[in-house]
Amino acid sequence: MATGTGNREPQSFERRADERGSGGFSSETVTTLAIFGLCVLLLLASRFISPAFGSLSHLQTILILSSFLIVAGFGQGMVIMTGGLDLSIASIITLGGVACTTLGHMGSLMAIPLALVICAGVGLVSGFGVAKLRIPPFIMTMAMGVIVYSACLGYTKGSPWGSAPEAAITLMKSDLLGLPLAVYFVVAFALFGWFLQKRTSFGRRVQAVGSNARAAQLAGVRAARVTMLVYAASAASAGLVGVMLAGYADGATLRMGESYLLTSIAAVVIGGSSILGGAGTFLGTVGGAILLTTLGTIIQSLGVDEGWRTIIEGMIIVIALLLLRDQLYTKIRMMTSALPGR
Amino acid sequence: MTQWKTTLRRSALGALGLLASLGLAAGAAQAKTADGKYKIYLSLSYSGNAWQSEAANIVKALAKTPPYDTMVDLEEVISGTDPQAQISAYESMIAAGADGVVSFPISATALNRTIHRGCQQGVLFFMYDATVTEPCAYNVSYITSGFGENSAQALVNAMGGKGKIFLSRGVPGNSVDKRHTDGAMSIFDKYPNIEVVAEYYSYWDDRTTQQETAKALAAHPDVDGIWAQAGEYGAIQALFDAGDRLVPMTGENSNGFRLALANPDYQARGLKGVSSGSPPAQSGYAFKLMMEILTGKRQLEPQSIQYPLPWVPADEVTLCKGDRIENGCNAFPEDKVPSSFVTEVFNPDLLPELSLASALDGKQTEGATIQPLPTEVTKAPPEPGINCQKCEPPADHFALTKIKPAM
Repeated sequence: MATGTGNREPQSFERRADERGSGGFSSETVTTLAIFGLCVLLLLASRFISPAFGSLSHLQTILILSSFLIVAGFGQGMVIMTGGLDLSIASIITLGGVACTTLGHMGSLMAIPLALVICAGVGLVSGFGVAKLRIPPFIMTMAMGVIVYSACLGYTKGSPWGSAPEAAITLMKSDLLGLPLAVYFVVAFALFGWFLQKRTSFGRRVQAVGSNARAAQLAGVRAARVTMLVYAASAASAGLVGVMLAGYADGATLRMGESYLLTSIAAVVIGGSSILGGAGTFLGTVGGAILLTTLGTIIQSLGVDEGWRTIIEGMIIVIALLLLRDQLYTKIRMMTSALPGR
Repeated sequence: MTQWKTTLRRSALGALGLLASLGLAAGAAQAKTADGKYKIYLSLSYSGNAWQSEAANIVKALAKTPPYDTMVDLEEVISGTDPQAQISAYESMIAAGADGVVSFPISATALNRTIHRGCQQGVLFFMYDATVTEPCAYNVSYITSGFGENSAQALVNAMGGKGKIFLSRGVPGNSVDKRHTDGAMSIFDKYPNIEVVAEYYSYWDDRTTQQETAKALAAHPDVDGIWAQAGEYGAIQALFDAGDRLVPMTGENSNGFRLALANPDYQARGLKGVSSGSPPAQSGYAFKLMMEILTGKRQLEPQSIQYPLPWVPADEVTLCKGDRIENGCNAFPEDKVPSSFVTEVFNPDLLPELSLASALDGKQTEGATIQPLPTEVTKAPPEPGINCQKCEPPADHFALTKIKPAM
């Protein structure tokens, strides 16, 4: 019964958000649509840069490259939703890759679940530190990241061995009905993440803890348990990224997770989530991840110096953030209501 | 009050340091550990890729090979990618009375002052692969041997002198990446029909190379060739992902790349090129040179020594059947090493003591003993910002040494 209360509370928040809009769209939906709109605009504009852009194969490349960021962003997004930050995901991606290639000889059915369980276990420890020992998430996950990375380094002595499990290679490299399997996977994963977050009581509880942990606790949500589960889920999804990367590159490297730490946070924030927790949607994160990857492919082919490329990328991210902030919706309403005749 | 205390502490430390340096200078070129062994440090900036661990393993294996096993007390220190950390690691080594430091330096300039201080106290500094501009250190490196220009010419030849290419570079702002790319561009600029359509930084990492190349292929699916620094195995993977068509490409020494170059099926699909670049074996050569100086077998002033450029075109890829160097073999079967394994770990002239287990696990080879090095060393030409600070490159900078222009 107690959980039921925790379940209902954030829903009522959302309903209020819904009621602000005359068309029944929440600001979250507007942000998500706006991001995808921006992606489409970027793709159309990119045709001026290279005629090969905007083609089906370009879209496939973008989706495959974003798949890593989307899965990483799912875990990161949940942690950010609770008001935390997961700095260990880079190392746990490496752990996932190293574990599944090391265990690869046991066959996909054993190696991949085992790798994910190991990663989730590490996440559970981080969650325990944050929820029970009251260590700030920033510090706890950073420390865990260092420990995990060093363990991988020590275990592999610098060069991870073995090749990826068959299933991981199939997932990242094969086609189904003319489209890469990874594209179906991205779509399925996005729907799964959205469902978990918006249509299950667990998702609601996570949001409640992020909005106000104390209020959630009083309302009967077992905040500590939810927090621990969130960190475990984040680590498991980072581990999954490791497995996917191992399949993509057929092998693990110790640096494989590095580029996903900051970009996963960026994808979540661009996707309209509050960095302070309590608000956000996974579909927004998916949009953020696709936007960042699209940007990456386009900027790489601009033919300007690396320095300029990074400056342009940074500027576009800031502009996107400014445009896509929560207030966007309110602004549009204000602008339209200010029009004469309304 | 506190300031006064600090000053006092500083002067006390200074006096101690002075005393220590006097003592050390007197004992230079002698074994300093209590049991009469040479105290040698292996200083890595970072570990975490195949290249770094192989280079370190080679030194460890040699230190266990007789007679060095009874002469050397080797200690490995990994300090990370922060120059400050390596500076303090060097400081500790000097303070601990090191006879020699064999090291992969993280910066060509940041470590200079510390190295200079160490030299004054009689410590030998041998840098491998990466270099420093401090003149009292020895550099052992292939960097000046012309990887960029030679591999670029090989690519131009393979492409018939025309077409669109990608440049897969290393780390932005890194002097080695700049040297390689400048060398390559000196060639590409001679061919007006060669067009660089994408240039990206891959951080000498397979996975980054694969993703960056995939992005470039999205914009330019009609590319005709790829010039890559380390990480080239990722570039091949990206080509596989994009479809059946392969193109000429050059890259460094990963086992996966060499096997691909020699694969007749891939050749039929358009792959040709050359494998060249940075050999982990440099560390072993540096260590043996240092030991010969320490043991008085060799007189050699501090200088930059050039390691020969590995150069393996597709038709020269030869598989090693066992774990030793035989018949000039230069690649290993797939089940023996990971694809990212850097194959240039052997050198029949300089390092006959090594076997595959040396590079993989730092194990000495059964029955091997340390063999003397050839007397002659090849002096490296001056390379501004790489092995000297204020200097001019030679007049024949970027001259081709391994290949001739085909057109």
